[in-house]
Amino acid sequence: MKRRKISFIIAVILGMNLFSGCGPNYESSAGEAPRQEEQKETGTGLSENGAGDSVIVAMGPNSEPEAGFDPAYGWGAGEHVHEPLIQSTLTVTNPDLSIGYDLAVDMQVSEDGMTWTVTIRDDVKFTDGEPLTASDVAFTYNTVKDTSSVNDFTMLKEATAVNDTTVEFHMSQAYSIWPYTMAIVGIVPEHAYGPDYGEHPIGSGRYLMKQWDKGQQIIFEANPDYYGEEIKMKRVTVVFMEEDAAFAAAKAGQVDLAYTAAAYSDQSIDGYELLSFETVDNRGFNLPAVPVGTDAQGNVIGNDFTSDLQVRRAINIGLDRQEMLENVVNGYGTPAYSVCDKMPWYNSAAEVEYDQEEAKTILEEAGWKEGSGGIREKNGVRAAFNLLYPASDSLRQALAADTQNQLKELGIEVTIEGVGWDTAYDRAQAEPLMWGWGAHSPMELYNIYHTLENGLAGFSPYANETVDQYMDEALAASDLDTSYELWQKAQWDGTTGITQEGDIPWIWLVNIDHLYWSRENLKVAEQKLHPHGHGWSIVNNVDQWIWQ
Amino acid sequence: MRRMNGRQKTALLFGAAVIFLVLVTIAGQVLSEAAMATDFSRKDRPPCPEYLFGTDWMGRDMFVRTLTGLSMSIRIGLLAAGVSSLLALFLGIVSATMGRAVDSLVTWVIDLVMGIPHILLLILISYACGKGFKGVVIGVSLTHWTSLARLIRGEVLQLKEASYIKAAGKLGLSPWQIAWKHMVPHLFPQFLVGLILLFPHAILHEASITFLGFGLSPEQPAVGVILSESMQYLAMGKWWLALFPGLLLVLTVALFDVAGESLRKLLDPGSAHV
Repeated sequence: MKRRKISFIIAVILGMNLFSGCGPNYESSAGEAPRQEEQKETGTGLSENGAGDSVIVAMGPNSEPEAGFDPAYGWGAGEHVHEPLIQSTLTVTNPDLSIGYDLAVDMQVSEDGMTWTVTIRDDVKFTDGEPLTASDVAFTYNTVKDTSSVNDFTMLKEATAVNDTTVEFHMSQAYSIWPYTMAIVGIVPEHAYGPDYGEHPIGSGRYLMKQWDKGQQIIFEANPDYYGEEIKMKRVTVVFMEEDAAFAAAKAGQVDLAYTAAAYSDQSIDGYELLSFETVDNRGFNLPAVPVGTDAQGNVIGNDFTSDLQVRRAINIGLDRQEMLENVVNGYGTPAYSVCDKMPWYNSAAEVEYDQEEAKTILEEAGWKEGSGGIREKNGVRAAFNLLYPASDSLRQALAADTQNQLKELGIEVTIEGVGWDTAYDRAQAEPLMWGWGAHSPMELYNIYHTLENGLAGFSPYANETVDQYMDEALAASDLDTSYELWQKAQWDGTTGITQEGDIPWIWLVNIDHLYWSRENLKVAEQKLHPHGHGWSIVNNVDQWIWQ
Repeated sequence: MRRMNGRQKTALLFGAAVIFLVLVTIAGQVLSEAAMATDFSRKDRPPCPEYLFGTDWMGRDMFVRTLTGLSMSIRIGLLAAGVSSLLALFLGIVSATMGRAVDSLVTWVIDLVMGIPHILLLILISYACGKGFKGVVIGVSLTHWTSLARLIRGEVLQLKEASYIKAAGKLGLSPWQIAWKHMVPHLFPQFLVGLILLFPHAILHEASITFLGFGLSPEQPAVGVILSESMQYLAMGKWWLALFPGLLLVLTVALFDVAGESLRKLLDPGSAHV
């Protein structure tokens, strides 16, 4: 019988080991060790006194580019867009998200929108000494078109080099926002591109990749032959760690700039300040706009409660976004009314005032009367839905919980449920899901609201012919300014659209500020509105950061 | 006050442990609604008389949440221990009485299940059963029976040689009648104690698997979920999120052990001095 006792003790100890065994993993492998190496290597520990021309930035482990620095596999041009640093791009997005030039000196589009002609600089060399020509550009675009697994290039038919400095893009469909795509595709050298390019990138951009210790850090050094403005920050080290490890690293003075979350915003670190940058990194949930049914594969689509237009309108004005910001992100954010707030293609008609009474009135008038337990009902349908959120995201969980609390006051019963991404997309066809979006391209509007072949939009069932038509016209427009106007009309043209007065198939809640701990004497250059993804965007202009 | 003898003390200890555990189970059930409630006006409160275990980043009352989590752990443990011990009893008896072929088959299955690392098997089964509550329950239930089955098989093998069993056989009772009438009563104390001592394992494994994220979705109050969430907040100095739920988990597990041990002493006084 003693044995039983011993085995029990062993079981307890094993159980404990299991718990503590997760500790090191959780803190992420990019904690102490790589930093010490780094110190040794730089020898001076420049960051210790925060001076010189090098900087150490801490990002989340998910920011590490799995497939390396190959634009075809998502570097810069992936799910989370940013400037590729190592490579040059044809265009860039300006701080106001209009289009500027990097390699390009001129671009023209044909009347029918099917041919783009871009002239590039003739004085640019790759870091291996070879000149960058139009054929490299054509090669890059033909490569990403064929191999990109993370971004859509189906609008491009072929890119051809007319001469050394002129490249022509032949489109398979008119695509007026092509310059926004050109702003994220890094140009790779035709002569040095192969399967291992991702790990040994050669570009013509501001930085060279000096060293990559997978799972730990990446070291960039300034490109001495860079053609553009002088690079002030000569050496950039990016380390990857979890939020709590990044906080600890900043506290220990090991990094100069560390990403952080709003949950840490009430903390303080000596010698560091909390930087907060506005974003279009929004959170919101979809409301399936068709009644329950099944699709061709037999999956459930639609929702009987949220398919009522008046319900969606009531929810949109019945949510106090300001309170949500205070509750969930300690005020570090802005209310969101669309997927593209403050972008040049944003229509401010999307803005609504919070009005709980009005929301109740709308529900009453639509026939949703109070039933048992204060929850409304209409023709036997309960005013209730299940709100999904990604189980790994505590911020979206909190947003879902706050939505639940606020809608309860309207007489709508919300249950929340954490789900994995393996099932989330399918389930969102019938149940609202807490999403995060926000890109430096109007294409996101198209992806969310435009219908597919089956007659419904892809992420959440919804269809409006007029909205579709405006977006089709916007893509076919011959210049960007016209297209902006059409994108805005797609949101609201005075009679229909996707706003409160329109069909409101998505409810946008908040734009989350991106927060960083930064050494007080580090001057981070002005940031454009960050897109979704709390990662590489911060170092878009790291070359212009300075120590004071 | 009259001094109690050892047996009375043990009984009292057993009673106290059981009462506490039953209370936790019931309280958790009653409070399950409150455990899910979020209230952002009271977020991040350290422990105070109103919220004994403090509140978390969504203003959930951690005391209520921990109780509900433990209650669920105990209920999962109850089911798992029940299923496991019945399985163990059945397989143990079958293995020892139905002949060599059955015996080697059963011992082979026992070795197979014991040979796979326990937590791995748990994860595999609960994943295969669609994760979530169902997955956890099935996973925990199907992986805890082996050692008890082995023990019972040994006991039965020993019993088979006892003269009263042999006599019963000669008197014409079928193997099943012998097993039911003569063996089960003899095995009952072993079985009961084994059942109670399965609880701590089941509870810890339920906590582990939910901690690792293979079990329930994060809004559910489960001890593992609570503890894994609290890890994120340790760096911010929110120690109460991990400490109290952890302590209460240890206390619960320890009390089950106390209950099992004292029951063993009561049912099998001969072993009390071993």
